[in-house]
Amino acid sequence: MGINSRYLFGEAWSIARSGARQTVMAVVLVALGLYVPGLIVLLSKNLGRLAAAGGDPPAAVVTLEATADSREIAGRIAADARVARVRIVSSAEALDRFRKAYPDLGGALAELKEAPFPPTLEIFVRPGSSSAAGQIAEAARRLPGVETAESEEGFDRRFREAVRLLRGAGLFLGGLLTIAAVLTVASAIRLALDLHRDEIEIMRLMGATEGAVRAPFWLYGAFEGLAGGACALGLLAATYVAATRLLARHPHPVLSIFWTSFLDWPAAAALPLAGTLAGFIGSVLSLGRKAKV
Amino acid sequence: MIQLYHVSKEYGRFRHALTEVTCRIERGEFVFLTGPSGAGKTTFLKLLFREEAPSAGQIVVNGRNIWVLPSSQVPYFRRTIGVVFQDFRLIARKTVFENIAFVQNVLGLPRAEQRRRAYQVLKRVGLHHQMNAHPQDLSGGEQQRVAIARAIVNEPALLLADEPTGNLDPVLSEEIMRLFADINVRGTTVLVATHDLELIRRMGKRVLTLERGRLREGAPPTPLIREAPFLPQG
Repeated sequence: MGINSRYLFGEAWSIARSGARQTVMAVVLVALGLYVPGLIVLLSKNLGRLAAAGGDPPAAVVTLEATADSREIAGRIAADARVARVRIVSSAEALDRFRKAYPDLGGALAELKEAPFPPTLEIFVRPGSSSAAGQIAEAARRLPGVETAESEEGFDRRFREAVRLLRGAGLFLGGLLTIAAVLTVASAIRLALDLHRDEIEIMRLMGATEGAVRAPFWLYGAFEGLAGGACALGLLAATYVAATRLLARHPHPVLSIFWTSFLDWPAAAALPLAGTLAGFIGSVLSLGRKAKV
Repeated sequence: MIQLYHVSKEYGRFRHALTEVTCRIERGEFVFLTGPSGAGKTTFLKLLFREEAPSAGQIVVNGRNIWVLPSSQVPYFRRTIGVVFQDFRLIARKTVFENIAFVQNVLGLPRAEQRRRAYQVLKRVGLHHQMNAHPQDLSGGEQQRVAIARAIVNEPALLLADEPTGNLDPVLSEEIMRLFADINVRGTTVLVATHDLELIRRMGKRVLTLERGRLREGAPPTPLIREAPFLPQG
């Protein structure tokens, strides 16, 4: 026989109210537990976008003067047998790339009268010639119209490694703090069970099924987790808004990279969902041990 | 309705609450279970709704051997029995109405129907004006009447009552017994555990007596009656 949803929600609410302080504490702890991995996901996503924006990375990048003939310089560099191809990235194309990578900041750049990015040449080397990137950049630096020429290989590798490390740390910390959230809800449920021990016994004597006894606690745990996850999301959004406002007033070339856009909706929805799941698992674990007849 | 075959209940090795109890209570009967304190009345009732397990013997209630009943079926079995506990066992955080309508609420009976049934049953015990009160706001006697209302609200096939008039004055006790008799007339089997021998005498129903865990048919012998404080000595 099914359980009436009105009873289910009424009981869950009643359990939450009867231990209001424990409920609030559990929600706060779950929120903090999910906020930290959420923050790392947000930062690594923004950083990862920068790494992924270029696709297959060039071996060297040559920055040209605004008046330079990019086709001619590209032709001269491509004449080197070790070079596979040279890609010309105009100022407009560079701006377009930036807008795609950082939609929140692209609008602000559009208001500038001058092109914010100089034209560049991206040099891709033939397989087996990767170690030649430095020499190719050195040769390009001597060409007229070239402002700078840098080998990208070392930086790109280190950058991608840093992003990977940040993501790994986020996953590890996220896993650890999610376990902490599960244990937090489990202990809140244990306290609630202790508070309701007598009435659980009465409910059973009155003919309540195991489902009718346990389901309100499952729902209570899931809601605790959901509330914690929602609070973590709200806190993360508040942090993002505060950071972007601060960086708008005091721009910073490196910090801005971390705060260019908020989580997309699937990632944002993952926080309350993770909270709900953690809460549910916590309550199931707790009831599994404590609510036996 | 109730059959016990050689039922014994022991708490530990040396405390025998019930010894070799065999009896039969027919459907629609009204039976009193009496005996001095500690004779095993409460244990007897607990065995009937499977709050406790017998150490030996078989118990059949309403055609079902309740000790072979699967655990998952116990709640449904308990819903066919109304129980008035000696210590009331009301849920403090629930109102009188919520206590009475608990099973109906779990089953999803419409709220209006729950209220109608609760009002009717509370009116029968004279507490219809206390629907929204909490148990702790009521006197002991009132709590007992709420417990009675909860036990009879689902019109059970069997009503078990453990000292249901223990906290009531004689007038109210009389009313409650009339209520039980009324329920019995409608087809419910009633088993009342009490040591109120005057009440038993006035009702004139079948009596089972427990003495040191052993059951015998009929009212207790004179010395036990003499122990009752409300009867004249002599």
